[in-house]
Amino acid sequence: MGTLNVEALSFRYPGGGDAALEDVTLAIPAGRIFGLLGPNGAGKTTLISILAGQLRGATGSISVGDEPLEALRRRQPHNLGLVPQEFAFYPMLTCAENLRFFGGVQGLGGTRLKERIAAAAAFARIENVLRRRAGRLSGGLKRRLNLAIGLLTEPEILLLDEPTVGVDPQSRAFLLESIRALAGAGRTIVYTSHYMEEVEAICDRVAIIDHGRVLVSGALSEVIRGGAGLQELFMQLTHSSLRD
Amino acid sequence: MRRLLALWEKEYLALSRDVQGLAVLFLMPAAFIVVMSLALSDVFKGGAARQTGFAVMAADPKLAERLAQGLSGDGFRAATVPADEAAAREGVRHGTPSLVLVVPRDFERALAAPLDGKSTPPELAVLADPALPPPQLLAFQQRVLGVVLGLRVSAMMRRAGIPANADALDLKHAATLKVETIGGTGRPSSVQQNVPAWLIFGMFFVVMPISALFIVERREGTLARLVSQQVPFSMLLFGKVGPYFVINLAQAALMLLAGRTLVPWFGGETLALPARWDLLAAVTASTSLAAIGWGLLVAVSSRTLEQATVIGGVGNILAAAVGGIMVPRFVMPDSMQKFSEASPMAWALDGFHAVILRQGGAGDIAAPCAKLLALAAALFAVALWVHHRRRVLTSVQ
Repeated sequence: MGTLNVEALSFRYPGGGDAALEDVTLAIPAGRIFGLLGPNGAGKTTLISILAGQLRGATGSISVGDEPLEALRRRQPHNLGLVPQEFAFYPMLTCAENLRFFGGVQGLGGTRLKERIAAAAAFARIENVLRRRAGRLSGGLKRRLNLAIGLLTEPEILLLDEPTVGVDPQSRAFLLESIRALAGAGRTIVYTSHYMEEVEAICDRVAIIDHGRVLVSGALSEVIRGGAGLQELFMQLTHSSLRD
Repeated sequence: MRRLLALWEKEYLALSRDVQGLAVLFLMPAAFIVVMSLALSDVFKGGAARQTGFAVMAADPKLAERLAQGLSGDGFRAATVPADEAAAREGVRHGTPSLVLVVPRDFERALAAPLDGKSTPPELAVLADPALPPPQLLAFQQRVLGVVLGLRVSAMMRRAGIPANADALDLKHAATLKVETIGGTGRPSSVQQNVPAWLIFGMFFVVMPISALFIVERREGTLARLVSQQVPFSMLLFGKVGPYFVINLAQAALMLLAGRTLVPWFGGETLALPARWDLLAAVTASTSLAAIGWGLLVAVSSRTLEQATVIGGVGNILAAAVGGIMVPRFVMPDSMQKFSEASPMAWALDGFHAVILRQGGAGDIAAPCAKLLALAAALFAVALWVHHRRRVLTSVQ
């Protein structure tokens, strides 16, 4: 899998005023964790949604290596996984039923589906709650189920949109460790978060965006060179005024 | 196919855990069928089933009794004669009795007047309860005129020296009249009207669970996740058709069962089953697809649960009111009956009546089924178009 290239990407919501993304250019190397930072409303989720194929109408180009992302998506529809910031599963179904559904709807079946459910559940350490209704799980378990669903098809590109929001320190540490392990297996990971210490801990490269524009982008070590840290740089670039 | 099966299974599991949704789909129509079949049973039987009390006030008690005898029967029964006209008026005001025939003192003399069209006919007065259905009042008027005609003919024959018995000249004895309705029993009975009517109403209420789950899927990001997993939107919609089609079939089976068992258990009439089950299945299937199409359009168009509840619920109630579900179309005035033809529920009811009531053939259900299927296809296409117009598949920004 080649580098994920985003070039001159712009997007405006229908009926919206300012552009949600404007001329965004990023290079996300394979096998790395790419941290996407920005205050609320900066455009992180919009970018993730466009990469995931949820938003239409963006201008610019997205490619993986030399192949346009759309072509790759058509050729290998399940090579790109999304773990959204919402608990995007069915609360009235059990964890096992959710995993079976999301696996089945992506074309997995029979023994292969069982194997993938077992592997994803084991990776997210939710084997013991597979028979519990998803809506009755704790916040941390819900995050882990959300992650497990995203891993069912073993995607090579994984988009993680604030995957640690609202979880306790133990679950957060577990999730970060898991994400590191996923990257170690050669996956390209795009990771958005508001927690600078998380990004500093696991990301190889970062980009800070605000008002839909890229303010800084590059290897983590280069971006924070000379500064006190990512938090200070972030505040410096995005200013300290309150956001929505 | 595997993906479609996964979508169907998910939909079944979600619905099976939605107790309120199941109650709306199964208990509501069953309750309406029982309550409305029993409440309207007399109305659907027509005049004969309603026992309307009447009294005859005449100076001559023998004449009063003779008139009362002639007027009794076919839903009219003689009641206690009020003491005077004031008491009669007061009684009729309260509906006891519903009708009083007031015979003037010179009535018998007037009967003797020749039937030449020049002499003044005898005058009678009827005091009527305003709550009495107009057809019932009209039937009573006809009975009075019939009995009086018998009395006049009898008086005329006596004058001519021909022995005559006024009772024998009663119109009831004029001839035996056998009415045969062609193709079934004619107008629906209460249970024949209410079982298909409230079944159709219940079937269209799939709009509620369809839109509720769809809006939750959109709000929680599940829909966006499925789209990112390259599940075509048309497949997501088809994923809802299969389960709700089966739900609609189950509704039909259970509501027919309610008409066969529950309604008679409460003292109502038993629903007569159709001769052609294949035609019943065709009408049910067409109705189901139209109902699901409506559910999908409301689901895709509504942004919130509240919107879906208002659009789906009010839309169903209006279609039911216009389409002869709540008020049978045969009691509507002509203009309203014409207007009711615009309601898909009226098409469905026509189809069910063709099978259950008229024991019709394939030709009789062709038009209603074709209209319902065309509507289903149109609603599905519009739902896809509404989705296609939106660039934003998710609520996140």
